[in-house]
Amino acid sequence: MSLEEAAFLLLAVVAVVTALASLLARELVHTIMWIAVFFVDLAMIYFLLNAAFLGVLQLGVYAGAVTVLLLFGIMVTRKRIFSREAATGIGPAPVALALLTFIFVVASIGELPGGELAPQTISPAALSSTLFSVDGPWVLILGIIMLTSVSGAIYLVREGRE
Amino acid sequence: MTGLNEVGFVALSGALLAVGLFGVLTRRNFVLILVAIEIAMNAAILNFVYFAAFAPTVAGGLSGQSIAVVLVGFAATEVAVGLAIVLALNRSKGTINVAEATELKL
Repeated sequence: MSLEEAAFLLLAVVAVVTALASLLARELVHTIMWIAVFFVDLAMIYFLLNAAFLGVLQLGVYAGAVTVLLLFGIMVTRKRIFSREAATGIGPAPVALALLTFIFVVASIGELPGGELAPQTISPAALSSTLFSVDGPWVLILGIIMLTSVSGAIYLVREGRE
Repeated sequence: MTGLNEVGFVALSGALLAVGLFGVLTRRNFVLILVAIEIAMNAAILNFVYFAAFAPTVAGGLSGQSIAVVLVGFAATEVAVGLAIVLALNRSKGTINVAEATELKL
């Protein structure tokens, strides 16, 4: 087993464990702590794949902004942020559906072209010039969607809307 | 660098998608549902980054990564709107339990 494979295995196990832990934690603040570890772990996987720009983006947007935003959401909706959740029962149907999804995805592995390849290195400079030339329409669509959703969010939380 | 085959990556993103689906179906707290959606979204982004890294051409790799960048933006937008809904729900119902949100009007 090469060093990259060992690193990937470790990161993959940490990703699944932290994702599960974040959903099963009893205190909401612990959920945010686990999800922060999960985001940083995924950024490490992107660095392993030689995708440096996406790794940095993951650290900045997810581990930074989204985590703080979720923490802020808890802070303003709770009087005591360390209050516990009421335990909810987990029925067999959601677990079965999740397992079925996993099996369905894993079953598609056989259709992929096999073989072990080295990941290609994509420089951030080439990526940024693609983002603003060939894939420019996607960035424009993202901008329009962000603008409309921000105005929607402001409409939802504005004062005196009863 | 050698030895990163696709079985592990597809299995990881499948597992993360399953965990996200499990969270959306079982949790009642709106913030936890948002977290579960983020986990599932990250599974999709991981797939884009992985297949971009192993694309046969450089152009394919570039467009795969740029779609991943756009998806990260979409996910951040979705969290912002989700938290606005959390705040509005908390203001009108006094709770963020989705079982209490029985009408579309906030």
